Amino acid sequence: MPVLEGKELRIVGFLCNWCSYGGADAAGVGRAVQPTDLRIIRVPCSGRVDPIFIVKALLNGADGVLVSGCHPRDCHYSAGNFYARRRLEVLKQFLPVLGIDEARFEYTWVGASEAQLWQHVVTTFTNRVHALGKAPRFDAVEPLLKIADMALTALRPLGTGKNAALPKLKEAIKAKLPELECVIGWQQGYDEARTVPLFARTPQDVDKFVWGPFNVNNPAVYLPTFRGKKVGIVVKGCDARSVVELLQENLISREDVILFAMPCEGTLDMARIGEKLGRYTTVDAVVCDEASITITADGKEHRFCMADFAQGKCYGCATPLAALSDVSFGAPVDVKPVSATPPELALLDSLSLPERMSFWRGQMGKCLRCYACRNACPMCVCRDYCVSDSRDPHWMSQLADEREKLFFQTVHAFHLAGRCTGCGECQRACPVGIPILALRQQIGRVIEQLFESYKAGTDPAAAPPLLTYMPQEKNIHERGWK
Amino acid sequence: MRIGVFICHCGSNIGGTVDCAKVAEKAALFPDVVYATDPMYTCAEPGQATIESAIAEYRLDGIVVASCSPRMHEPTFRRTVERAGLNRYMLEMANIREHVSWIGKDVESNTNKAAELVAIAVAKLRGNTPLHSKSFEVNKRVLVIGGGVAGIQAALDCADGDIPVVLVEREATIGGKMAKLDKTFPTVDCSACIVGPKMVDVAQHPLIALYALSEVEEISGYVGNFTVKIRKRAPYVDWDKCTGCGACSVKCPSKKTPDAFNEFTGVTTAIKVAFPQAIPKKAVITAAHCRQMSRGKCGVCAKVCPTGAVNYDMEDVIVTEEVGSIVAATGYDLMDWTVYKEYGAGRYPDVITSLQYERLLSGSGPTCGHIRRPSDGREPRIIVFIQCVGSRDRSIGRPQCSGFCCMYTAKQAVLTKDHLPESQSYVFYMDIRAPGKMYDEFTRRAVEEYGVEYVRGRVSCVYPDGKGAYSVMGVDTLLGRPVEITADLIVLAVGIEGSRGAGELAEKLRISYDNCGFFMESHVKLKPVETNTIGVFLAGVCQGARDIPASVAQGSATAAKVLGLFARDRLENDPQIACVDMRRCVACGKCVRCCPFGAIEEVSVRDEQKAHVIETVCQGCGLCAATCPQGAVQLAHSTDNQILAEVNTLCRY
Repeated sequence: MPVLEGKELRIVGFLCNWCSYGGADAAGVGRAVQPTDLRIIRVPCSGRVDPIFIVKALLNGADGVLVSGCHPRDCHYSAGNFYARRRLEVLKQFLPVLGIDEARFEYTWVGASEAQLWQHVVTTFTNRVHALGKAPRFDAVEPLLKIADMALTALRPLGTGKNAALPKLKEAIKAKLPELECVIGWQQGYDEARTVPLFARTPQDVDKFVWGPFNVNNPAVYLPTFRGKKVGIVVKGCDARSVVELLQENLISREDVILFAMPCEGTLDMARIGEKLGRYTTVDAVVCDEASITITADGKEHRFCMADFAQGKCYGCATPLAALSDVSFGAPVDVKPVSATPPELALLDSLSLPERMSFWRGQMGKCLRCYACRNACPMCVCRDYCVSDSRDPHWMSQLADEREKLFFQTVHAFHLAGRCTGCGECQRACPVGIPILALRQQIGRVIEQLFESYKAGTDPAAAPPLLTYMPQEKNIHERGWK
Repeated sequence: MRIGVFICHCGSNIGGTVDCAKVAEKAALFPDVVYATDPMYTCAEPGQATIESAIAEYRLDGIVVASCSPRMHEPTFRRTVERAGLNRYMLEMANIREHVSWIGKDVESNTNKAAELVAIAVAKLRGNTPLHSKSFEVNKRVLVIGGGVAGIQAALDCADGDIPVVLVEREATIGGKMAKLDKTFPTVDCSACIVGPKMVDVAQHPLIALYALSEVEEISGYVGNFTVKIRKRAPYVDWDKCTGCGACSVKCPSKKTPDAFNEFTGVTTAIKVAFPQAIPKKAVITAAHCRQMSRGKCGVCAKVCPTGAVNYDMEDVIVTEEVGSIVAATGYDLMDWTVYKEYGAGRYPDVITSLQYERLLSGSGPTCGHIRRPSDGREPRIIVFIQCVGSRDRSIGRPQCSGFCCMYTAKQAVLTKDHLPESQSYVFYMDIRAPGKMYDEFTRRAVEEYGVEYVRGRVSCVYPDGKGAYSVMGVDTLLGRPVEITADLIVLAVGIEGSRGAGELAEKLRISYDNCGFFMESHVKLKPVETNTIGVFLAGVCQGARDIPASVAQGSATAAKVLGLFARDRLENDPQIACVDMRRCVACGKCVRCCPFGAIEEVSVRDEQKAHVIETVCQGCGLCAATCPQGAVQLAHSTDNQILAEVNTLCRY
């Protein structure tokens, strides 16, 4: 429905039935005059408010969204608002990466008897939204195409893994194979410069294992499909974090998986390699030396230095060898983790809010809705029941417009909040090169700041931060309504 | 769907600032709406009749009433649509009074807003389906946690109503704080003489099972069917054999055990019966001070016990009880008064709490009722009472009034004069709060007949004057001048907080509690003994400061609630609860992890793990629905699709 032109803005409120809805009632009973913009949606508990309802509203024309629940520790359902507080705070800090002003979203706690407070909250928030003015429409902004600068310095020397203990790995796998359903790893693809997943069931299969910078896929993505069966998996450091996260969420059990850890020296950014190679028909040879790879395609030699062509995540990688493993083929490399902003996120950080929205409008224009990002994600366990193509619940239409596409990316990012290990498979799998990892990185950064440097997939016993709470949060403070 | 919309004028309450006819006109164009009208008073009989006849005439299968808050009349209109043959949950309300007409005067904006609220109600209603309650059996037994006077009253009233009671008390004896008091205000009659007989009634009642020295370990289940695990701590004395004769404590050589019952104003033996009227009258060994148990050398009590009841190797026992309802009556504890360093609280021996003073006054106390200074055993002559120590003090985060301190301070001042006619008492107060029956008269008597000096003002500091007495520096705000009193004994009316461990218990009970550890009632005015967890009730000071008569009254009130609940053989649940779509569920367990009520379990369906909602436990908060990434858990009548429909109605380019 259209708003009253020139008079009102579109402000949506989600109020818990017990406290804040009662507080709004009390304000009415007290004839506490308020601006008329707010439209209240009554929900049982602030914990019912999935943050993506709010994104949905903000992407579809809301100028402001307000969530209000019972005061912490006063929840009708004892803990709903504790969870809400964590999730909504993450959302609030996430919104700017989409180019949405975080001031357009607020959450607060108002009790059933706090009529004056409610009046104050509504008035203050409405005034705030009016001061910001009408929200920019996502499909009205000009697309902006910018590419992240990938000229990075690695924390450790990157290499090709030429001297890795591959024969030993094969031996070890063969020894374990009889007790396993299969062992997941990599084999050569249709040419030497590609790998595809290998599910080794026989010793002959095991001989096909390869190791090197072309092992880009994250094999952990296949683990949940083997749930209940005992499997082996060869992992790079980053893959192991996905395995740990799956363990954290009880999506697989520890006794059902054997991890073979190989020391990773970096993997290649195949998209940039492909760009350099240009059009070609056959790869004639691939030759490795310690620090670079030479690909001969259609008779033409191309040399790729690992330090220049690694995947973005490899530069900041501090765990090249899996922290959790059963069989390990190398010593842990001592790399001091540095908290550097990943390049994709750094690009967004450098843009203004309207530029960010333009950026995503431009990027989403390329999206095909192929869902390769989702399918490559080891944490996307919904699989056939993804909300992206379901009617019940009907979160998004099949309309091929940029808003729905960005909404899907936000949904994905939110479903990964506190769970994403930053393996970057979504972005790598994207056939049109959208830097969608930036959205996950932003959430990851927020989670890290809010929950004491929490990093998903580092401790199998840790509870994912959005699935738990503290009655008194250390880093989430109630904002005053002055 | 065929939806009928009723836009209530509520006289001029809504009609005054909302053009109801225009809203009805707009509503008629909303999807699925086949009928829209604007009755004058929808909740009145003619209004309800309009709805009923419209349902019949237009074959409506869903109703939207736009009127006052659903918190007001949702039950009314649910009954209306039910009378007309619809399922009671095929109703949605738009709140156009409290949220529209009463908060703004602009008719254009209000009318537009009302229409939009109706639009979202219609959008939501289109996703409603008929819901049906499930009924379940009620286990007609009640658990009372806390054996103070409130808990005792609740237990006795329930038991007298033929409801078996399980009474759990943390200490070795019931009686609570009241058993420690010497006299009660305003009648100055003996506290132990009033509560004593009630304690005996508890012990003798055939329907009350008493677990003293026990704590609630774990609570699961839901109204009508709670399972409670109770930890019976080891008293190291077989209570089946102990007769409470006291021979053990006479011979016990460990005579320097701090006496918790006497608020640490004296010492006692390691094995003892808490106090002469204790119920159960059984001996308990304080393990830390027992020579046999700490050093392995002694065993005197075991030798002298005529029934051979002493057993040093006893261990805690966990017992499980099944009950249908729970009464929490856990009372209070004094706040940490040592934060008042300026009063020397906890440092100077003659600066004591009023509860300690109560023990000094009591005939069963460490001084046999003679008031003596803890430091040198001398009779004090000048006694200063300081009120509001830890009450109404924002500087230490205690803004609330502890309620009964004004009265007991007056009582103690009166008793002091009775005990020591030569003494002079001073009371530093902020305001005198004496609103109860005969209360103000009592405080007047303290001033007028007993010569107690009331000084309105705070004390800034207390320090020893070097001659065995203390200088109390204060201010008289009525005269506007500083006051200095040399006192022999200083009694602090220390503020109260929820009993220690109240927070942990609240979490077991799944009820809310405030910053001071007091449990939250369901509604401040209208549901003062209920909690937000159905079947759990509150009695006494665990909910907030109150005096003995109010605690007793509340104890009886909870009993009435329990008896009312148990008057029915079966209970019905609210069907607006979560439900799992088994096909979509991938058994990731996120909902199980988050559910505040433990209402979701993992079950095996055709060899696959799936989440399953226990219908009677689910309270319908919808946290699971917001947690499940694939939308497999949906909350009835707050489904993702319904909220999305509301959002989409409002937010549309």
